Amino acid sequence: MAITPELLPYSKIREDLFRPLSGASATYILCVLAALAVVVTGGVAWGIQIHDGMGVTGLQRPVFWGFYIVNFVFWIGISHAGTLISAILRLTDAGWRKPVTRAAEAITVFALMIGGMFPIIHLGRSWLFYWLIPYPNERLLWPNFRSPLLWDLTAILTYVTGSVIYLYLPLIPDMAQLAEHNTPWRRVLYRTLSLGWTGSDREWHTLERAMKLMACIILPIAVSVHTVVAWDFSMAIAPMWHSTIFGPYFVVGAIFSGIAALLLVMGSLRKLLHLELYLTRHHFNNLSKLLLLMSLLWFYFTFAEHLTVWYGNEPSEMAVFRTHVTGAFAPYFWFMVVCNFVIPLVLMGIRRLRTITSAMITSVGVLMGMWLERYIIVVPTLGNPRLPAAAGTLYGPTWIEIAITAATFAAMILLYLLFSKLFPIIAVWEFKPHPAEED
Amino acid sequence: MYLVAEFREMESIVRAIQRLKEVGMTAADLDVFSNEPVEFYRGVLDRPSRMSVVAVTGAIANGSLMTGFVYFAQHNYALNTGGMPVFSLWGTGVITYEMTMLGAVLSTFGWFLWESGLIRKRDKSAPVPAVPPGSMCLRVRCTDEQAPGAAELLERSGALGVERKGAS
Repeated sequence: MAITPELLPYSKIREDLFRPLSGASATYILCVLAALAVVVTGGVAWGIQIHDGMGVTGLQRPVFWGFYIVNFVFWIGISHAGTLISAILRLTDAGWRKPVTRAAEAITVFALMIGGMFPIIHLGRSWLFYWLIPYPNERLLWPNFRSPLLWDLTAILTYVTGSVIYLYLPLIPDMAQLAEHNTPWRRVLYRTLSLGWTGSDREWHTLERAMKLMACIILPIAVSVHTVVAWDFSMAIAPMWHSTIFGPYFVVGAIFSGIAALLLVMGSLRKLLHLELYLTRHHFNNLSKLLLLMSLLWFYFTFAEHLTVWYGNEPSEMAVFRTHVTGAFAPYFWFMVVCNFVIPLVLMGIRRLRTITSAMITSVGVLMGMWLERYIIVVPTLGNPRLPAAAGTLYGPTWIEIAITAATFAAMILLYLLFSKLFPIIAVWEFKPHPAEED
Repeated sequence: MYLVAEFREMESIVRAIQRLKEVGMTAADLDVFSNEPVEFYRGVLDRPSRMSVVAVTGAIANGSLMTGFVYFAQHNYALNTGGMPVFSLWGTGVITYEMTMLGAVLSTFGWFLWESGLIRKRDKSAPVPAVPPGSMCLRVRCTDEQAPGAAELLERSGALGVERKGAS
């Protein structure tokens, strides 16, 4: 019979989960350097874009939204992995959530940081991004509060703030413990961040109350953020964008890709940090079932969206529909369907095939599929505007956009690697069974 | 002065708290220290909280303030809306909603820091016990006269050891 971590002595749990924080293997250093190199390359590419202007990208009339907006939507979607999933599991008091929540919450914070960069990169004159912020100025100009771009700003600001606090709160007790025996600079870091936590019942009660309340608050925020991102599209009267189901469709897609990202991160950490005892098959199995459920929901929405367009037979909508299904974007479209529906249905649906390895393979497929989904939503519609006179050449990304895109994936890996060396990736204090659970 | 008693059993610490309360100690005089959350049954060591009320108040305050600001900004430099209202709750509803939620988030966090005592001015002389793994420590604030009786009560309830710390 497998040992559940709750049955292990507390000293063993502490040792196992604090161990990855000290020392760094050659593999770890190599991964950090490789990720850093890709991030630097992306930074150089962005520097060239700032210096030479947006002409270095493949963006041109009529496709003004390309890789950057695709990446923006993709990363905001990935951010739904953490806070949303963690909040749902916390509120439903799912016992198996304990080793999963912090890894998930960290994904949210990093994905939001990365996703939030894209509207700034896409601006072209990135140094003027502060014009989005309402501040008193001599020309008495204010941002247009009815613009979905400003909605994005407020939604992402709220979500980032909430997610950082939601990640930080349960870290406090662990940091207080880490401050006890550590190297001098780490002691200073953990002592400062733990705010003088003593472990009194007053502190524990307040922390648990705050976590429950934050879980309740963060859920509607997470749903609203991706709905607002969907409204960036559906508020425009563009073919195959002006849809009432775009809000829920995007939220479903976001949770779907979020779960895939979480499975991938958990699988990697399990191997890299030797956490096999804590991240068990049980956790992967439960998350795999959730992934399957989201895959079915995603397929339902995609089917409903395309069926209504086909049945309506409106010429401008049909022009986009044809590019999806049989035209230039058909290979991407059908590959997306395979990645997001066929693979999860087979590998996650058949119990015998549902293993940790298959969950990782499916997750990679889903992430590719969901990135393609955003690409298929953004580019074909812009390439087939309602006015034929506005139609132009097909969009193709340049190396600048590809380098910046690759840098964001590397940045995610880099941030995660650094985080896992500074903070325990699993909440140590949450492993102790509460009296209520013992009852 | 303070008494610090170490316990291993939940029943013992509950018994100690109940006995101390019977002789006139209040929840404000008692603190339990542990490496993990300790949950007592209702009535043992209740810590009433206003966190939910503060969160709702913060949400309403920030939502109203920001909506007011948007109203001001829209009228301060009115755009030509072609006969449509200059300010519309429907058009700016997303901002009102997000700012309301931001108010709830920030007030919850702020109240957590305050109520837990992490940013409040604390009694620096109060000892913070180093809790051995698997144990819980009960800290009792009492006068010199109350101390012998309280210490005896703690020992009778099952404390592994009782230490006197600080002067009254």
